[in-house]
Amino acid sequence: MKLEHINVKEAVRYMGMGNNKPDERTALLIDECEKELLKVIEPKFVYRVFDVAHKENGVEVIGTPLFLGGNDICRHLEGCSKCVLFAATISSGVDRKLRAYEAEDMAKAMIADCLASAAVEQVCDIVDNTVKEKLSGYNQTWRFSPGYGDLPISVQRVFLDVLNAQKFIGLNATENNILTPRKSVTAIIGLSKNEISKGRRGCACCNMREVCQFRKRGDHCGF
Amino acid sequence: MDFRTLLKTKEFVILDGAMGTMLQAKGLEMGGTPEALNIDKPDWLVDIHRQYINAGSDIVYANTFGANRHKLEKCGYTVQQAIPAAIKNARKACEGTDTLVALDIGPIGQLLEPTGTLTFEEAYDIYKEQILAGADADLIVFETMTDLYELKAAVLAAKEHSDLPIVCTMTFEENMRTFTGVAISSMALTLEGLGVDAIGVNCSLGPKELYPVVEELCKWTNLPVVVKPNAGLPDPVTNEYNCSPEDFAEFAEKLIPLGVKVLGGCCGTNPEYIKKLAEMLKGKKHVSVHNDIPAACCSPTHTVVIDQPRIIGERINPTGKKRFKEALLANDIDYILGQAIEQIHAGADILDVNVGLPGIDEKSMMVKAVKSLQGVVDVPLQVDSTIPEVLEAALRAYNGKPIVNSVNAEDSSIENVLPLVKKYGAAVVGLTLDENGIPKSADKRFELAKKILDKALEYGIRKEDVYIDCLTLTASAEQENVMQTVNAVERVKNELGLKTVLGVSNISFGLPSREIVNHNFLMMALTKGLDLPIMNPNIDSMTATVRAYKLLTNIDKNSVDFISHYGGEKKTAPAATGAKAEIDLPYAIENGLKKEAADLTAKLLQETEAMNIVNDMLIPALDKAGAEFEKGKLFLPQLIQTAGTAQACFEVIKNYILSTGEKSVSKGKIILATVKGDIHDIGKNIVKVLLENYGYDVIDLGKDVDYQTVVDCAIENDVHLIGLSALMTTTLVSMENTVKLLRENNVDCKIIVGGAVVTADYAEQIGADYYAKDAKESVDIARKFFGN
Repeated sequence: MKLEHINVKEAVRYMGMGNNKPDERTALLIDECEKELLKVIEPKFVYRVFDVAHKENGVEVIGTPLFLGGNDICRHLEGCSKCVLFAATISSGVDRKLRAYEAEDMAKAMIADCLASAAVEQVCDIVDNTVKEKLSGYNQTWRFSPGYGDLPISVQRVFLDVLNAQKFIGLNATENNILTPRKSVTAIIGLSKNEISKGRRGCACCNMREVCQFRKRGDHCGF
Repeated sequence: MDFRTLLKTKEFVILDGAMGTMLQAKGLEMGGTPEALNIDKPDWLVDIHRQYINAGSDIVYANTFGANRHKLEKCGYTVQQAIPAAIKNARKACEGTDTLVALDIGPIGQLLEPTGTLTFEEAYDIYKEQILAGADADLIVFETMTDLYELKAAVLAAKEHSDLPIVCTMTFEENMRTFTGVAISSMALTLEGLGVDAIGVNCSLGPKELYPVVEELCKWTNLPVVVKPNAGLPDPVTNEYNCSPEDFAEFAEKLIPLGVKVLGGCCGTNPEYIKKLAEMLKGKKHVSVHNDIPAACCSPTHTVVIDQPRIIGERINPTGKKRFKEALLANDIDYILGQAIEQIHAGADILDVNVGLPGIDEKSMMVKAVKSLQGVVDVPLQVDSTIPEVLEAALRAYNGKPIVNSVNAEDSSIENVLPLVKKYGAAVVGLTLDENGIPKSADKRFELAKKILDKALEYGIRKEDVYIDCLTLTASAEQENVMQTVNAVERVKNELGLKTVLGVSNISFGLPSREIVNHNFLMMALTKGLDLPIMNPNIDSMTATVRAYKLLTNIDKNSVDFISHYGGEKKTAPAATGAKAEIDLPYAIENGLKKEAADLTAKLLQETEAMNIVNDMLIPALDKAGAEFEKGKLFLPQLIQTAGTAQACFEVIKNYILSTGEKSVSKGKIILATVKGDIHDIGKNIVKVLLENYGYDVIDLGKDVDYQTVVDCAIENDVHLIGLSALMTTTLVSMENTVKLLRENNVDCKIIVGGAVVTADYAEQIGADYYAKDAKESVDIARKFFGN
């Protein structure tokens, strides 16, 4: 799997420029960084489908030791009989490239960092679409990640183990549950035979909502 | 029978198949800890091992793959419980057979620095614990490895705490690389250098897909090659593998002509696969392949074969460079990284690293430099020191196969340096001098080269790994001996068949127009057989000489490389919008014109005081950009471009000040750190650039910084303003702890905090003095604090 391009429009938003068009010099840097990043990006993902059992204080992922605790994940998976756990990354070559940019030119580093964030979201979209194809009989929720709302990020390691993500895509977590390589995502997609209400997404259950740079500008990160 | 005898006496050695797959079939849940079953369900393990032994395995892997302290954490058993229990189960299954038991060790499950937070030394310690707990095994297997650095820590831990044979298998993807980008050649060169017993590949793909990987590996090694493929590829939904036992054996058969010696199965395989494999191998002969492994050095991702002239960049060396010395004294690793990147862009194939300077701890600086450099650059390093302890520390910390610079023909040098070269599997530069100094004649230097070669061979170092430096003397002082050097290069190359190295730039010392002398001397040496010029690649006439030589000697086929560098339009930086005919410094800074800004600064310094340039031009330009940023007219990427340009001006000013001894422009010292546990430091680095632009000295402690390090650094350097950054909610507590420790130690300082998840309320709550919402505000706070 290869990414052909990076969603620059999204990356520009991450750079704090909203929907403004980048100036000429910045646009050239973006172009250069995109080309360089595409050479090192190795998109990889792994997903598995599980039955879930709804409990009072969370959701049990059947056949695994994983328990997803909290009210927000309960709401997220309301009405879902199954869920998809997935992990996606654009791999460690990107970390290396970002480090090199930081030593070379901070403007490029900052731009590349945002481009890389946009790229990993694109890989998540690919997962979304793959799930849609493979499990066409179900409606899908949006992607809910460990650390969102009151779902503790401490589930990260077990989450990765259940997917065998280290072995399949080289994804690990630090002692503090930060994913490494850095430009990676773990998330849960609910699967339901019933219609899923649109309201169940967005800032309301995001634990970044109080400090979110997008919200401060009246913007939205895309979820 | 032991493993080494087994390799000699049997045509093929058969390993076992998957353990995880078998345990899951018995009821292990996904994400559970398989090693807990060594104690909870010993019968399961004995049964699985027996099935493999009956199927024909000569070696079974004990169920110890993830039995490290990190992965066992969640199951409650210790390494000292899980590993001996696993070996006991395997031994029980082997009773009455000759089957050997391997201590099986997989990755720790955390990435090493700099992508992760685990240090090389911690990784070594984790592996050491496993090796000691598994002393009863017959051999040690490291498998499913994707990071060569982690594997090096493992191999060193094994070599230093056990005499058991070592097998290493790494996991490659279809792009012929591991997840961390390790190339097959780099794996082979590095591991053979470290002295392991067999190397190979396991997991990821089936025997069919692994063919090209195995083919490449067999070209790069003369060690026994191990292949333990998966049962094909898994289906993401059902997790079932697509290769039957029959197909598995059939594809495995195709690997035999490549020279494979040891075979088994990984994920998805079971005793049926091993049985088919054993049946297929019955009566077959191992194909012995002998390769002439070329002279080469490598980083994990990049192998440099010395089959043509390769440029060794000489700029990471403080000798005669005031700015470099200052950077070393200030622990400024970013400066060294900048020097590295500049040389690579200019055309360096390998970088020499020398950080020897009186007044610094050369050993710790060398380790720091090596670790930082290899986190950023792909080219191999040449570690350069006169002190064996420094060399050893560098060799340990290096990821790949480095070059050691240097050994000489003195007995004491040989005895100190060559054992290190052997132990760590490096290549070495041998200087043709001894206790009597540098011989004048080519013949005498040749004799010393021969002595070094003979000694290296005695230590078990490959001939291909000895590079000889016939030593350049300055033409101004010893003009009559210049040709002795050149002739010695020719003899060493032709008669000893060794690769040659030469520091080129010395030749012109004390002469005018040094560049002319240097590149002509370089061309003379190249035509006589110089392989590795140590030189300044940033001087284009030098790099151009090497490129022209390669063109003229038909190495650069169709002049592809030459044309790519000198043909057509030169790449130019994008022009500023609304370009002026004559640009001035503020304009250059506002428009991010780095080179122009640096040139203008140099010109201005001839008539203007450094401090005035800073105060009257740099800072107002930055202020203007900052104000526009606050108004939302300018965005962060533009602000950083402006800052980066001002930084280029500062670099010019710093160099000027160092050369004239004029008063420093420092406006105050500030410590910056991304707190313990947090590895996202881009925000902190942006703050750093801005602060430096305003004339502040920033002591950058990096990311994942221990609380105590911040305290110690503040006290030691008498710093009174500290900036802390955190980007994750999970690491906010580290910020709080750092503040607390600073207060407990009564460090006389004000603390600024910032980062994506930090708020003004939180800053107040944890007792910080200031909250900065962005990089610009950090500067405002610093200016207020220092009153400048």
